[in-house]
Amino acid sequence: MTYFSFVRAEFLVLWRRKQDVLNALLFFVIVVVLFPIGIDSSSEFLTPAASGIIWCATVLAVLMAVDSLFKEDYRDGSLEQLVVCGLSLPLLILLKVIAQWLAVILPLLVIMPLLGEMLYLSSASLWALMVTLLVGSPSLFFMGVIGAALTVSIKQGAILVMLLILPFYLPVIIFSTLAVKAAQAGLPYSGFLAMLLAMSLLSLVLSPFMTAIAVKASVN
Amino acid sequence: MAFDSLSAFLMMGKHGVYVWSAYGFSALALIWLVWNTLSTRQKTRNILRKRFVRSQTR
Amino acid sequence: MRWVWFHKLASPKWFYSWSNFWALPVFCFGCLCLAIGLVWGLAFAPEDYQQGNSFRIIYIHVPVAMLAQSCYLALGVASFVFLVWQMKMAPIFIKAMAPIGAVMALIALVSGAIWGKPTWGTWWVWDARLTSVLVLFFLYMGIIALQSALDDLVLANKAAAVISVVGLINLPIIKYSVVLLETLHQGPTFTLTKKPEMPPEMWLPLLCAVIGLYSFVAGLVLWRMQSEILMREHRSSWVKQEVMENGL
Repeated sequence: MTYFSFVRAEFLVLWRRKQDVLNALLFFVIVVVLFPIGIDSSSEFLTPAASGIIWCATVLAVLMAVDSLFKEDYRDGSLEQLVVCGLSLPLLILLKVIAQWLAVILPLLVIMPLLGEMLYLSSASLWALMVTLLVGSPSLFFMGVIGAALTVSIKQGAILVMLLILPFYLPVIIFSTLAVKAAQAGLPYSGFLAMLLAMSLLSLVLSPFMTAIAVKASVN
Repeated sequence: MAFDSLSAFLMMGKHGVYVWSAYGFSALALIWLVWNTLSTRQKTRNILRKRFVRSQTR
Repeated sequence: MRWVWFHKLASPKWFYSWSNFWALPVFCFGCLCLAIGLVWGLAFAPEDYQQGNSFRIIYIHVPVAMLAQSCYLALGVASFVFLVWQMKMAPIFIKAMAPIGAVMALIALVSGAIWGKPTWGTWWVWDARLTSVLVLFFLYMGIIALQSALDDLVLANKAAAVISVVGLINLPIIKYSVVLLETLHQGPTFTLTKKPEMPPEMWLPLLCAVIGLYSFVAGLVLWRMQSEILMREHRSSWVKQEVMENGL
């Protein structure tokens, strides 16, 4: 196995399980729809709240997607193969997460204008929202994958992953919603984007190693 | 002493309810922590002792 | 040569007898100091001219909040030590420390809320420190939940250490972001940070209570670690001897 064949296999698996990706997307949309129906469907509420709603739904959808990242591999033993195959485990995990990120976030960005319209977002703040999603979501995946690797041996691990990882998502949500609010007020928001990017890069550097430790401990 | 009488101490001006409920909760939680620690310690010893005694008689 | 005592601490047997000697005195000293600090603060310290007597909650709230953070720091450092050097005592320490930290965070939250009612007029304000203690409480509960969910001891040790180290790295970022959130919202009209300088007869009892609570927690941790050591080392002969011969 080489890194290239690994990536190809990953994308092939994602393509064969496209229903899972679609489910994550539908879950995301349903969570977003809950807010106008449950709280207030007027534009006075929705316009300022939109970025928070979208980000909360994203966080939940990402955690659902990330939780299943190692489950199947653990059950059929291919996770063990990754550990013993001789390639660098952190690098393999990095590639796997990037593949998953592309599969979940790209469709999400595609339907974002539609949701922006439903939540009465102006086009300027919609752009800001999409940029924060693009820049901030990698850190969601990288932090979530640690929790997924730790709980892979537990049958009902999804709730535990939520409990473990959601507190770490607070800064990402705060920076992103502040960025969108600044955009709505016509203020510069590049500082918040820089913070999001810094968090994504930091988690990109640290998370594969932490996840590798967790995967090794879970497999043995 | 910052208070004239015991009843003044218990009343704490108009904040008696707040001060004593805060301290009461804290005391309960700390006492629970101590009780939990000591009972776990005792339980561990009892479990191990029973196990050792059983393995000796066998 | 001076470091021999430190290396000895890594041996469960030596640690057990060492902690057997120290746990009770440390705990009693803590109780005494805490009692002195609290009685002094409750009955003898002068009244605050702005907040009246409600400020006396500070004597339990501040020590407990400090402990909640220090416990997490200790937890994170121990986890780092475990991940790097595989020290055997570190996971035992983590297991013993996490519930104590959770209780400390809970007390800090409840006493803070009760203090908030007369000072701010509400039980809860999305103040930076309140929010970060709430997050801290969730982190502790996460560690405890993870440890109890994993049956395999080796995996549970590793998992708790990994999540604590990640938490230690994340905690400053969380704190910074929450402070940022607060400064951009409208802050509470009366903040505790801008309180005037405390006179010594006010902060001395506080210092006493802080030292007392640290010592109190140290004693508790030693006891909890002892139970954990006995359970994990139950196959070795010294545990058998210890349990069968000594009463408590």
